[in-house]
Amino acid sequence: MIMEQQPKEKARIGVFICHCGINIGGVVNVPHVVKYVKTLPNVTYAEDNMYTCSAEGIDKIKAAIKEHNLNRVVVASCTPRTHEPLFRGACADAGVNPYLFELANIREHCSWVHMREPEKATEKAKDIVRMAVARASFLKAQEESEVAVDPTALVIGGGISGLTSALCLANQGFKVYLVEKEPELGGMLRKIFKLYPTNEEAQRILEASINTVMSHKNINTLTNTSIKSVDGYIGNFEVTALKDSEEKKFKAGTVIIATGAVEFKPVGLFGYDKYDKVLTQVDLERVLQTGKSAMNKFFKPQRVAMIQCVGAREEKPPRAYCSRICCMVAVKNAMLIKEWYPDSAVYILYQDMQTYGKDYEDLHRKARDAGIIFINYAKQTPPEVMPLPDNRLRLTVYHALLGEKRDLDCDLIVLSTPLVQQETAEELSKILKVPLGQDKFFLEAHVKLRPVDFATDGIYVCGTAHGPKDIGESISQAYAVSSRAGGPMANRKVRTEAITAVVDPDRCVGCRMCEKLCPFGAHRIEEGKSTVIDALCKGCGVCAAACLRRAITMRHFTDDQIMAEVKTAFLTEAPKPPKAPTV
Amino acid sequence: MTEQFEPRILGFLCNWCSYAGADLAGVSRMSYPTNIRIIRTMCSGRVDPLHVLEAFRQGIDGVLVTGCHIGDCHYITGNHACEKRVKFLKEVLPQIGLEPERLRLEWVSASEGGKFAKVVKEFIEEVKKLGASPLRKELQESV
Amino acid sequence: MSEKTSILVIGGGIAGIQASLDLAGRGFQVYLLEETPTIGGRMAQLDKTFPTMDCSICILAPKMMECFRHSNIKLLTYGELKEIKGSVGNFHVKILQKPRYVDQTKCTGCGACAEHCPIEVPNEFDMELGMRKAIYMPMPQAVPRCMTVDKENCIECKLCTKMCQAGAVDFQQQPQEVDLNVGVVIIATGFNQYDPSEIVEYGYKKQRNVLTALEFERWVCASGPVGGHLLRPADGGIPKKIAFIQCVGSRGSKFGAPFCSSVCCMYATKEALIIREHAPDVSVYIFYNELRAFGKGFQEFVNRAREDYGVNYIRSRPGEIREDPKTKSLTIWYDDTFTREIKSLCDVDLVVLCAALIPRESNKKLAEITGIELDECGFFKVTHPLMAPVDSTVPGIYVCGYCQSPKDIPDSVAQASAAAARAAEALALVQAQRTGDGA
Repeated sequence: MIMEQQPKEKARIGVFICHCGINIGGVVNVPHVVKYVKTLPNVTYAEDNMYTCSAEGIDKIKAAIKEHNLNRVVVASCTPRTHEPLFRGACADAGVNPYLFELANIREHCSWVHMREPEKATEKAKDIVRMAVARASFLKAQEESEVAVDPTALVIGGGISGLTSALCLANQGFKVYLVEKEPELGGMLRKIFKLYPTNEEAQRILEASINTVMSHKNINTLTNTSIKSVDGYIGNFEVTALKDSEEKKFKAGTVIIATGAVEFKPVGLFGYDKYDKVLTQVDLERVLQTGKSAMNKFFKPQRVAMIQCVGAREEKPPRAYCSRICCMVAVKNAMLIKEWYPDSAVYILYQDMQTYGKDYEDLHRKARDAGIIFINYAKQTPPEVMPLPDNRLRLTVYHALLGEKRDLDCDLIVLSTPLVQQETAEELSKILKVPLGQDKFFLEAHVKLRPVDFATDGIYVCGTAHGPKDIGESISQAYAVSSRAGGPMANRKVRTEAITAVVDPDRCVGCRMCEKLCPFGAHRIEEGKSTVIDALCKGCGVCAAACLRRAITMRHFTDDQIMAEVKTAFLTEAPKPPKAPTV
Repeated sequence: MTEQFEPRILGFLCNWCSYAGADLAGVSRMSYPTNIRIIRTMCSGRVDPLHVLEAFRQGIDGVLVTGCHIGDCHYITGNHACEKRVKFLKEVLPQIGLEPERLRLEWVSASEGGKFAKVVKEFIEEVKKLGASPLRKELQESV
Repeated sequence: MSEKTSILVIGGGIAGIQASLDLAGRGFQVYLLEETPTIGGRMAQLDKTFPTMDCSICILAPKMMECFRHSNIKLLTYGELKEIKGSVGNFHVKILQKPRYVDQTKCTGCGACAEHCPIEVPNEFDMELGMRKAIYMPMPQAVPRCMTVDKENCIECKLCTKMCQAGAVDFQQQPQEVDLNVGVVIIATGFNQYDPSEIVEYGYKKQRNVLTALEFERWVCASGPVGGHLLRPADGGIPKKIAFIQCVGSRGSKFGAPFCSSVCCMYATKEALIIREHAPDVSVYIFYNELRAFGKGFQEFVNRAREDYGVNYIRSRPGEIREDPKTKSLTIWYDDTFTREIKSLCDVDLVVLCAALIPRESNKKLAEITGIELDECGFFKVTHPLMAPVDSTVPGIYVCGYCQSPKDIPDSVAQASAAAARAAEALALVQAQRTGDGA
């Protein structure tokens, strides 16, 4: 195993044992522990405090560091999860590198759980402090590194999400490359007629957005452009794009995926590809966009039926999900048809109406009031479509709530199908090394608390590329990524904690096990050896434990340090000083 | 063994879940016997088979490895690696004369203070029944 | 910018915390105002979160600690907004912090005071299912980690002062007025739960084995009033049958709110899974109207509950929950909409009412003080539900999370970051105008 170089200086450890009032002192015999600690190797100084974390206690630590020329500090008190930063700060103030500090937990892990066994608790406290002292002997000073961040964002996708985030970032003063694979900006919204809940025309909103983006001095728009490769890491991405088959290279500090989604085409379902009066909702939008008079030429809707959940909520992935927006799209379009053709009969065949929240439930109610007929059908008994001689279609549905079959002779059948991931997403996920979920949408770092981040720093996702959602929700997410990406770019740098992996190139044989195991892509193989990109390493140590050549050192959690704790956890004889390394 | 044998247990706890769970056991003033000593790592995936083997070599009677529940790992897949390593170790231990039951893997989340205390109690009882580690006698004889 | 621009975030739940961390992380000075003694909000009360079944406080606590330790975040807990004047880029706010009667710089959170306090009152954090003392910490992971004296119930015996070894108890403390100059304000005040007592057919509060959903979260939480042991509230018996009723006080019922709270179908499924994992011999029934599992991974989660864990979903809005006066067990009378039969589910040990999640009453006061508009349901209005989903009707004041409209945690977190972005954008614009740079 690679041995950490023994610190050049001899360890001079100061140990501060806290009473924490009676929390520790009431169970553990603190003075006994202090007496014992003074006999441990490398301990130069030891004292007890009533409250080490108090202003008084902090001052005492600093004073002792100066007076006794201490170069390492151990505090035996409560949990490092709350108090480590406080004591690290105290050490730093007194000139001791914060990574030369160790906290021994003798409260949560000792006095508080052994309240009725004071003698045993005292012995255990001695062991715990001995372990911390042994570990401290092997601690090394660490410097946290900083990575510069280019205040330029690459936004991939020129739909409403991409446009919104590009604009928000540009307004914050950042430079933006907005890349769109189609000849025009706009994405899915170009195909939409009206938007719920406001019933505004999508094109108006889109045009306003596009105009603002095109005229913004901070935004460089590249249409007919795809991403060929993205190398590097947060703050320093090297992008190669292909515009009209010509390579364009530029640098970016952050990358935002806003590539959107496409509508699932239900080929083979409900006669979609067979009958010209069976449309999807997006097909319908296109027809509606042509206007009422043009629509009259297409057909005169006397009876229109919409079928929900076509090709969605299936048994197995990838389309096991609910596409979130289809119920509202159906309600919106049904109300539109009813408005244009008040004498028509409009039906929505549904499993569960996903008209959630405040505005949508309201519109759902309004739709029922407007005379739109809602028919519940069970998943196991889907409706059937058969052609009629007069070019109409017979829709047969088993009404689940009335318990009877209904035949609806329709002029138009509209299928509500889910949004699905773009075909190009698979390639993009490989280029950026970010994952797709089982539903094929981009998979974020944490479903609850980091919905628009990826585990890889510096790359973000928003809009329907992340999953089905409506315009308002897409725009919320687009603003969200503008904050997430804006942070590192505003600071012009990111800090990396010093708990990172280091590879010894002399030992590394390039077996790539570390590269395979690392969830953050922090290991790169260059010239047959693994190197660690500090900015990406999160310090988990999975690679170090796997390296068969013992070539990886986990800073601040080295094998030496851990082994020192293992060896001093229980002792039956007098403690020996830590042995010199044998490389 | 005339007097009550008290096993020596070493616990490896990951910073984000199990160490926090042990903290909660303390905050909640739960009780468990004093036999366990704890080593903190950032991730259960840091726990190296060599660390565990060294623990047994030191004469420790039982090793408890804990981490986040599968799917909850702060480093996403670290606990998967840990699971595989513990499985491997359990196959290796009999070959060096140790019962595989002396090594235990548990997922303890930051809110499972009660579970941590319970697991520690149970494990101590189990190892008590197994008796002192066979390696302890060898160690004593070699000193 | 010679001095750091300041931002006021009102509401210390997950949305307020996220917005604060985003903005503090890029150099703004953030004041996080919270009316209770601890940040954390509703998420801290939950046992697990859907669809990942993460332990809620486990994923929340690190963020809470980060807020506490961040050099750019100042927590103003146990306080409220009194006044606000000015406009975007330059708001003058007056905040009043209630006295805790405990010195935050001295208190170590050891709890000795509470141990000796003679007064016990229902604990709001546990939805009043458990008790706390008159000097208390709302929850073990409270941030800041400091005790608070509930002056209303305190009898001033001063035992706490005697018992405190750190000398932290200070009955001389006065309310503290805090005057701030901030550039923008972000409101993230979350929600309350509708009290279904007026739905007499469900017998809430009269029939002790009937709980609301938030009460049930505390009931099953390992750090809750019964240590997470699955018991009947009425008599501590072991339950064998548990039922959930959806849409209580929402969606067109006579009572409560007309809107859909968006999260109840999912959290009922989550709680059902918690039960089934805890005690596989307990059967669980969810009475629903529409099964709303529209988010990422939600439908798959419900499928798992149904197929792998045997949770029973019954499409119905039950008419009555009747208690057997001797056994305290419950019978649910309902019409199964798929079979059109009137049925009863007997010997139910525990019924959970998934009550509407409604805007806080205090939103009205906040709207008055700030001048921002509320919609007809009491949520904060935004200037455009699509294009400006987090902009309130007053420039420079943003709203995010549930107080804007019903939504789950991921959407609240996204909106919080969205509000942070809009805030940064607005401040950049103000700065550009001040220095004469064209935007």
